[in-house]
Amino acid sequence: MDRWFRKETPDKATETELEQLAARADPQPCVEPATPDWDLKELLERLDGDEEFLRELLVIFRADYRDCLHKAHRAMAESNLPDLSRAAHTLKGMLRNLSMKSAAQTAAALEKTAHAAAEKESAELLLILEGDLAKVLPEVEAQLAGVKA
Amino acid sequence: MRILIAEDDSLSRTLLERTLQRAGYEVISAEDGARALQELNKEDPPRLALLDWVMPGLDGAQLCRELRARKNKPYTYLILLSSKESKQDIVQGLESGADDYLTKPFDAEELKARLRAGQRILDLEDRLVEACESMRFQATHDLLTSLWNRGVIVELLLREVHRSRRERSCTAVMMCDIDHFKSVNDSLGHAAGDDVLREVSRRLRTSVRSYDMVGRYGGEEFLVVLNKCDPSSAVHRAENLRQTVCSRPVRLASAQLTITISLGLALSCDFAKCDVEELLHHADMALYAAKAAGRNCVRIAQPDSSDRDLPDLLPGKESPLLTP
Repeated sequence: MDRWFRKETPDKATETELEQLAARADPQPCVEPATPDWDLKELLERLDGDEEFLRELLVIFRADYRDCLHKAHRAMAESNLPDLSRAAHTLKGMLRNLSMKSAAQTAAALEKTAHAAAEKESAELLLILEGDLAKVLPEVEAQLAGVKA
Repeated sequence: MRILIAEDDSLSRTLLERTLQRAGYEVISAEDGARALQELNKEDPPRLALLDWVMPGLDGAQLCRELRARKNKPYTYLILLSSKESKQDIVQGLESGADDYLTKPFDAEELKARLRAGQRILDLEDRLVEACESMRFQATHDLLTSLWNRGVIVELLLREVHRSRRERSCTAVMMCDIDHFKSVNDSLGHAAGDDVLREVSRRLRTSVRSYDMVGRYGGEEFLVVLNKCDPSSAVHRAENLRQTVCSRPVRLASAQLTITISLGLALSCDFAKCDVEELLHHADMALYAAKAAGRNCVRIAQPDSSDRDLPDLLPGKESPLLTP
């Protein structure tokens, strides 16, 4: 291999903050993301400005994220941290693809804590992730409505 | 060019499909590792594959290992695509057999550039395989006639004789020689002689079954090996070969020539105690007998009692002497 690349690097400050949360025995369930919730401009650039395709992806996202989040909750309820880690991993990929940066970072942190079998921290991060998603979903709906119009 | 995508997340899959289709690729999608493996094990599979790492069942890294463990399959250029991004992950991914590693979300231009790099590797591999095939052909075939060369035809004969002895069947060995070939070269030149050799080779090759073997044994000598040959029909088959060669003239640039061949036939079941060299010697002696009998005929090598150790496998065998 000549080299490898990543599409984006998580904001260092946010990453550190999330990692600290993951490391704390008694974490504070509060993360202030230093990155935008949704970088729509970047996403559209990646899609060559194809708004119809954006809509197609958002429709898929809207249908799939719920299932993924449901799997994460079920895994949490069953203390099945490997499954939780897998669900967080899938969400992370989905969110990164859509440039939903804050939620993607939280999903990445959740994947990590679940992988490390840190149940308490994982439970808190799952709540944070839900919050991140709740912030971005109205924007998704608005975007879908706007593009449709 | 066709490319396989293995990705369980439908959003990522759709994004990849669209990006690659826009770049001119014919995309085949699989929703998990097992289906991807199925696609890549089909006849004429895609040569490029983009594999997600984390998938249910067979994951991307396991899939890479499975694919690299296959033998006798064309090389598949594998790119692992994952949101696992630590150095450890990258090393592990490449160690599993991937050729390249990309992290999600991908950048379309870089992805396309990496796929072009993959295509260059595949082109190089194709040229290497082609060169190896060409060298293998040259090492095993006579370049003028494209028949097996002497080393290979004798090796094949050895294998067939061993097999026929194991299976208590019979292998027929025919030593064929073009009659008066020297005079063709002397009167019409070596280029015409080469044309005659090529045409006789073609007639011999097309007159035997697909699993029989024809090789160029020497200058104008050919060895024909008929496996699982019914001893009672061997002489007739030799006679058919003789007739096929002389049935119509060979068209040359400057003339049309009727070419004949003489054949010496030996049957492995008649010489059960003989090794392959001795069997060839008997076929050669029969060929000399055919030449001595006036050429353009078949003679069969006759065993004496010391050559046989099997019950007679040739009930009702034809007369040893056949003339046109």
